[in-house]
Amino acid sequence: MVKSVVGEETQLKSAEDRLFQSSVPAEVGLVVGKLNPDSNRGFVYDLIPTPPTDGGGPAGSLGSEVGGRDDKKKRSKGGKPSAEPSLLIDGDWVAEHARQVSRMLLGGMNVVGIYIWASEASFKATMPSILAQALRLVAQAAPWYDSEFDERLLIHISYSPRRWACRNCSLASGSLQPCDFRMGKLLASLQAFRCMYNFEIRLPIVHVGPVDSNTFRNVLFKGITYHAKDLQSAKVLIDGNLVTEDLHSISEGFHKVEFLLPFKKDMSAEGKACSSEEVSGLVVFSGSVCASAYLGPREPISQAIADLKGDIITSLRSRLDVISDEAEGEAALAANSNIEASEDASSGKPIHQLIIHELRKPCCLSFPRRVLVPWFAGIFICDYMQPSETFEDVKDRCKEMMSMEAPIEASAIVEPETAAATVTEKSFWDVTHGDIASLIDDSKNRRHLTEKAGSGKSKGSSLYFPIAIFILLVAILVGWAITFSGRKKVAP
Amino acid sequence: MEGENGRCVRVLCPKKTLLGFSSSSKESLGIRWLIGSPLFLPPLTVVSAFRCLHGDPFSPDFSREADDIRTLLLRGFDIIGALFIGHGTLEENAIKAVEAFCRLRKSLHNDEVSFDMIGAAADLTIGDICFFVSGSAKPINMEASTVIYEDNPDNYLWEKGCLLRCELAFKLPTYVPVNKTSDVEETFSSLVDAAAAKFKGPYVAYLVEGPNISSGEASHSIVLHGEEFDFNKHPSHQKPLNTSAEAQSCSYFCSKNKFKSTSATRETADAIRVTVLLNKSRNNNSGAPIAEYLPASELARLVVVSFKLDVLCYASEDFPVAAAISELVVPALVDQLETMKKAIIPELLSQHPQVCPYHFLPPGILHPITAIYELRYGETEVKQGEIRKSLHSRLGLPMDRPLLRIANALSFGSKGIMGSNSIPNGCPLLKDVHTGIPNSGVSGGITSLVDGSYEYYHYLLNGMDDNGWGCAYRSLQTIISWYRLQQYTSIEVPSHREIQLSLVEIGDKEPSFVGSREWIGAIELSFVLDKLLGVSCKIINVRSGEELPEKCRELAMHFETQGTPVMIGGGVLAYTLLGVDYNEVSGDCAFLILDPHYTGNDDLKKIVNGGWCGWKKAVDSKGRSFFLKDKFYNLLLPQRPNMV
Repeated sequence: MVKSVVGEETQLKSAEDRLFQSSVPAEVGLVVGKLNPDSNRGFVYDLIPTPPTDGGGPAGSLGSEVGGRDDKKKRSKGGKPSAEPSLLIDGDWVAEHARQVSRMLLGGMNVVGIYIWASEASFKATMPSILAQALRLVAQAAPWYDSEFDERLLIHISYSPRRWACRNCSLASGSLQPCDFRMGKLLASLQAFRCMYNFEIRLPIVHVGPVDSNTFRNVLFKGITYHAKDLQSAKVLIDGNLVTEDLHSISEGFHKVEFLLPFKKDMSAEGKACSSEEVSGLVVFSGSVCASAYLGPREPISQAIADLKGDIITSLRSRLDVISDEAEGEAALAANSNIEASEDASSGKPIHQLIIHELRKPCCLSFPRRVLVPWFAGIFICDYMQPSETFEDVKDRCKEMMSMEAPIEASAIVEPETAAATVTEKSFWDVTHGDIASLIDDSKNRRHLTEKAGSGKSKGSSLYFPIAIFILLVAILVGWAITFSGRKKVAP
Repeated sequence: MEGENGRCVRVLCPKKTLLGFSSSSKESLGIRWLIGSPLFLPPLTVVSAFRCLHGDPFSPDFSREADDIRTLLLRGFDIIGALFIGHGTLEENAIKAVEAFCRLRKSLHNDEVSFDMIGAAADLTIGDICFFVSGSAKPINMEASTVIYEDNPDNYLWEKGCLLRCELAFKLPTYVPVNKTSDVEETFSSLVDAAAAKFKGPYVAYLVEGPNISSGEASHSIVLHGEEFDFNKHPSHQKPLNTSAEAQSCSYFCSKNKFKSTSATRETADAIRVTVLLNKSRNNNSGAPIAEYLPASELARLVVVSFKLDVLCYASEDFPVAAAISELVVPALVDQLETMKKAIIPELLSQHPQVCPYHFLPPGILHPITAIYELRYGETEVKQGEIRKSLHSRLGLPMDRPLLRIANALSFGSKGIMGSNSIPNGCPLLKDVHTGIPNSGVSGGITSLVDGSYEYYHYLLNGMDDNGWGCAYRSLQTIISWYRLQQYTSIEVPSHREIQLSLVEIGDKEPSFVGSREWIGAIELSFVLDKLLGVSCKIINVRSGEELPEKCRELAMHFETQGTPVMIGGGVLAYTLLGVDYNEVSGDCAFLILDPHYTGNDDLKKIVNGGWCGWKKAVDSKGRSFFLKDKFYNLLLPQRPNMV
């Protein structure tokens, strides 16, 4: 049970100032921070207001003063005249916001709850169950990696009287317990950990398998889950030094982390497949993840490592979600406007939904690359860029989701990952027999292949190439504009 | 070792070990490979000798010999010469020895000898060995040498030596077209080779840790990266070391508990642990993830082979640990993988052999050896018995005692201590309670005792209330503990219930017998010993307790030749007999009785003072008979198995 919470002074003060200067009577938003079940402590790094709904209305507002049900409740409870309106929260909308924001947070930071900006009276007039329900929806939409922790925070900022109150909500019971809340300086003692993680997951597709559920997406999701287990046995180097049990503290600041996995354990997904089964194909899922995690004050090193591992897996899952969202948006678009949005849509289903057995030809799904965007005070958040996207898209998302008002310098965005390599021209047998053609060899081959293909083309049709690119860009921009509004429509 | 009298050969093992006289002398003609450690011991130091087994004794099958030796010998040791035992002049025989050695060396390492080699010849008539040293293979330029047999070989080998151990388990998936399975061997073979190549790849990392010991010593650990190694270097050339981690010598990781080839440390040997890891963060490729689906052009069959490698290497403590990995551990892993590949390939598509390496330190051998067993059908399978027999023969071990069974294997770290105790509550039983008891009082008698350790099982042990009915069960447990501790078996000592179950299983008793409190006697014990251990027993009957002293000569003979504990059953009581003291001339005798009827706690003083373990005369000084006159007695003499 989280008993004491520390909020980052500078961020929360500026949030408070913004709220006081605004004239809105009520606001709802997300609390970004970290809760530690072991130490019963919580950190709050920042508050992010939830953007207006598609209809333009606010996500949290005060109910009309003569609302039937609220009115009745208040009368029966207080016996007072219905002077104070209760709070209305669009829980689904806030949850969708939480889902988008949680994708943009690096390891060690989570959506840990919601905040409410309302007068003391309005807050009191609101049924606790409404608040708990909103928190439940948020917790479902933005689950924490590998954690069943059943508590979230509810922060109430009251303007009359002016004060902060933090409550701890048990999701199961919905009970709200006040907890100790104070402001302090967290950022100075925040430690950053970053690592590049290369992986290769091979997933044999068994000839006779569960047919319906074997979509490309499900296969990959399972592969990621297997890999999460492999990752648990990793040995870790921090700044080149092996992490042992007796390592408790390290120097301040930024740390480079390396993961060492047991030899050939990356085969476990293949190993699980029963020996001498008949296989109709192989999914090779490979590449690099730039993972990052922040360690709060007085947290053990092991926590940073756990968060970093969590970040790798969540990043892979998030990207899979981004692809799915995107494809669904495109499909909807295609259906609505009858435009051939993409090749995949025209062929019936988006690629991630294809039943993998039915595929007879090789196919390839490129994951978006992760970019790191400076948030505040040297802390980064991340975003995922599809091949077709530019930094403008990233900036727009940051502005909308994270409500980042200050302009983001494109040069400040860190690009640790390069765009996913294009398709290899390797066959199933090439890959399985030249098994040890490890990542290095693969990537060399890939680069080589693309270079060759590129140079060949440019010689033959150098004139058409820029035009093609131009058309493509226009198409992408138009498509993206529509897609993005489509993405927003996900929440009703 | 240039001395005044030319070269001096130093031999660490006894001369008779070199000659291999422990088995029959006719067999011992032939070639012995002399083992030394060119890297870590002074030149011309012989640690032990392996008998040449394959091919004709005088013209060996070098490639098979090389294969065997590669498996058996720890990296860090090597063949440094040969001993020829046969007829003919000493010089000629020594030249033959050097020739054989050079050919074996070529099969083993595919290179020329770069150090002085030893050619030795045995003089059969006087049982001596003459050592010659040759600096080059061609022409063989022999030089007679003096020889020193070292008195304290353990110190010589282990004072500055240490062990490195690397375990590695992994799975190798192999895909073959369903209707073209003939390709599988080639495919598998290339996959294994590729996996072996990965040990030397740039992204491999080796985690080196000191032995985990409880004594509070800080155990050190470091990680060495593949890109820092130079795997192509020849072992004997030292190179300057750059980084501090690389330059770290093995002694940094060694515990103060020194490895000794004595039995005390045999159960818990210490070794520097090396773990193979793959660095997932040092790849220059930083492309975002991509998922590709590659359909197979024709249906493929997936064959997943599990490997379990376990190598042990010897190095001196001042040897840099990085060099120990690149020159000893990794080549050893590659060799072992190759050996396993050969074993697995023929049965790749059927049931895969379960090849498991084990390390042994048999008595009389100064250094550990490694054996690879195939355990698909268990170690009692005939073929495995044959393999053990040939190993015994190669190492000059006695052929009637199991020394290379899995139960004999070295266990590293704490695992061994836990494994050796079968007691559920974790409290070890008393062993060998008869040592330190007062003597029997038989004047001029010859004492014949049980040969080896046993555990004392008695009433109420392990929370089992068997007071009044379990004495024979307890005696049986003591006997089985003897077989366990002498490594004849690795089965747990059976409980009362398990004993009853096995009697029901063989049809001697009705099913209702299980869980009852019925007594058992000598005959039942012999059934159980036969069923559980395959041990046969001799039974002696006497009509009356008075006749027992007459059997003393026979019992003394039993302890001399078999050395197993004897169960005495008579009337309502059962005892365990651990020895006899017998004066042939006077006929005076005493029996060393271990009494299972003891109900106290495991307090050695109480047991000895209370006479629960002690010498008993048939008739004591007060005229009381220990064995009852009116009772019939059965003596159960379990036989020591003649097996390996």
